[in-house]
Amino acid sequence: MINLKDIRETARDMLAKGEARAVIGYRRGSRGMLAEPAFLTKPEEADELVWDPTCFHNLSLYLVHDRKHLAHAGKNSGGAPVAIIAKGCDARSIVVLMQEHYFKREDVYIIGVSCEGTGVVDERKLATHLNGVQASNAAFDGDDFVFTTAEGEKRIPAREVMADRCLECRSPYPKEHNLVFGEDKTGRQLEAPFAALDRFEAQGAGERWENWARHFDRCIRCFACRSVCPMCYCDECVVDSITFPVTTETTADEKASRIRWIERSAARSENITYLMTRAMHLAGRCTDCGECDRACPVNVPIRLLNNKMEKEAREQFGFEPGASIGGPSLVASFLDKDPGEFIR
Amino acid sequence: MEKILEKKRVDDWVAALTGYEVHAPALEEGIWGYQPINGPIRLDHTNTKQPPKEFAFPQREVFFSFEQIKGEAPRLKQVMPSGPRHAVFGVRPCDGRGVPRMDKVFNDHAQDAYYNARRKNVAYVGLACNKPPSANCFCLSVGGSPVSTDGLDVQLTDLGDRYFVKAITEAGKDLMTAAGKLFADPSAADQKQLKQVHAAAVAHPQRAVNNPDQAPAKLKASFKSPLWDELAQACIGCGICTFLCPTCHCFDINDEVQGKAPLNGQRVRTWDNCQFPDFTMHSSGHNPREGTGARLRQRVCHKFQYFYENFGMHQCIGCGRCITECPVGIDIIHVVNKVVENAG
Repeated sequence: MINLKDIRETARDMLAKGEARAVIGYRRGSRGMLAEPAFLTKPEEADELVWDPTCFHNLSLYLVHDRKHLAHAGKNSGGAPVAIIAKGCDARSIVVLMQEHYFKREDVYIIGVSCEGTGVVDERKLATHLNGVQASNAAFDGDDFVFTTAEGEKRIPAREVMADRCLECRSPYPKEHNLVFGEDKTGRQLEAPFAALDRFEAQGAGERWENWARHFDRCIRCFACRSVCPMCYCDECVVDSITFPVTTETTADEKASRIRWIERSAARSENITYLMTRAMHLAGRCTDCGECDRACPVNVPIRLLNNKMEKEAREQFGFEPGASIGGPSLVASFLDKDPGEFIR
Repeated sequence: MEKILEKKRVDDWVAALTGYEVHAPALEEGIWGYQPINGPIRLDHTNTKQPPKEFAFPQREVFFSFEQIKGEAPRLKQVMPSGPRHAVFGVRPCDGRGVPRMDKVFNDHAQDAYYNARRKNVAYVGLACNKPPSANCFCLSVGGSPVSTDGLDVQLTDLGDRYFVKAITEAGKDLMTAAGKLFADPSAADQKQLKQVHAAAVAHPQRAVNNPDQAPAKLKASFKSPLWDELAQACIGCGICTFLCPTCHCFDINDEVQGKAPLNGQRVRTWDNCQFPDFTMHSSGHNPREGTGARLRQRVCHKFQYFYENFGMHQCIGCGRCITECPVGIDIIHVVNKVVENAG
């Protein structure tokens, strides 16, 4: 059981002693019971922190934002590290970012929180479950989530309203951490790894194509999946109307001859190219935090695309994204045991 | 024209609208959206995920097609929207109020032929909100009402086993006369119940923008406020808030080349989005709205200041979509209240 008081005290202490220049965590938002990202810089703000089943955001995205702000200001380092609250999946994202040298280990102070018996809530599943009743508070209680509603307290077994990725989570414990709260409940997964993907893949090719075609048609290209993803940190992205960082040195010819890989029309062909490109670029990097899936306003099951890449990497190369900072990356390393004789 | 229609006759009414393509809210992938009717219609929806703006302002509009044989002058062919008249059922009063706002944007300085060609072909059959369909509804504080008829052609009010049906426009009368026999004249008791239901709807508590009348001046005075960066700290720069907004109307125009010999393609208009980093990117590489704070300010001030200065009304109609759908808790009610309050 995690004691919120301990998290708050840690944050307060670090900020008071100058051991962290900011603490990124969760606080209660202005819209109902949902948590939102919080950026604390003063010790007295520590009491705003919360830890509950709506802390679904992968906050490592904001470490990326921070690096971009520093780079923009022409700085290499911000001095003291940024402290961040990280669940198991979030901590793995941070590991990948360090593996890719996006920032150094000493730039970040990881306050790990174990997901213990549960994961986080899936808003859509919860809305279906509550059927129009508004909840004003959410809390962990063993294997249950407890919601406060106008109709009284509602106790729901976590597995019924838990996010799919949490049901399948293999490592809810943030192994990489400076400090960790909660018990290590690794091995508590309620569904087999890739269970949702396997269910999808059990369909025939025709059915799978029909499903994906329908989903690709529904994408509105709001790019929430890309924007919410800590791994989508590129300065230039193939879908933007400007696909390279333009400077005053960029010539008119260079600007005019840029290749437009993907049109702005939210048409099936363009949406496929966008979503597939993104999936490919996440192979070996996606830690299945599920943020893309959660953020999608039209419920495209984006997670399945990334899961597919993750599953291939695991089956072919025994690769686990975010397992170790110094370990090999999927696409930039070759091991003798790797399959594929063609490369030798 | 005021009539009573038994709920079980709604489908007969729809069937009688032979000159129209009828759309109504339907659940797909767990979300409500306007779909061409396919079987009995349901009007028990919350609100649709996407507003009905697509009927007059689709995400992609072809302006003309072009073809150029090498050495010859390019040949252009205008493409105008065509197709049957649309009747859209189940439009919520807030979304109805979005319609006249879009009409202003596309007809104030110049008449947009494409928008107008679609617009004159759509009739909106509204449904009063007996209770707020979302916890983030705030129509009352932006000059609207759960029983507003603004922008609608017909207003339905749920009276239990029947609808009170009121024609608002001539187009609305046409829809009703197409199935005249199905409707009965309302009794004094029906009129009384309508009044009660509407009074109860308006009395239902909602979230609120505190000082909407002061917002334009206070926001204007807060252009340089540090609050914008603070309130936008969690913003990920995706396009959910504006793509799902009933009154956001920004667009981009591109030539989509489809073949090279001869060169041919289409000039298309697609939705654009002030929250995207490249929206204001200059050709020089300079970006006047580089940070999320400047972009949040643009969105909020357009809704509550610039539009007001131009047209004497708030552009925001209080549907709450941008609040509910934001993956990181950016809440326009909170933002306006905070900035206005801080302006003193």
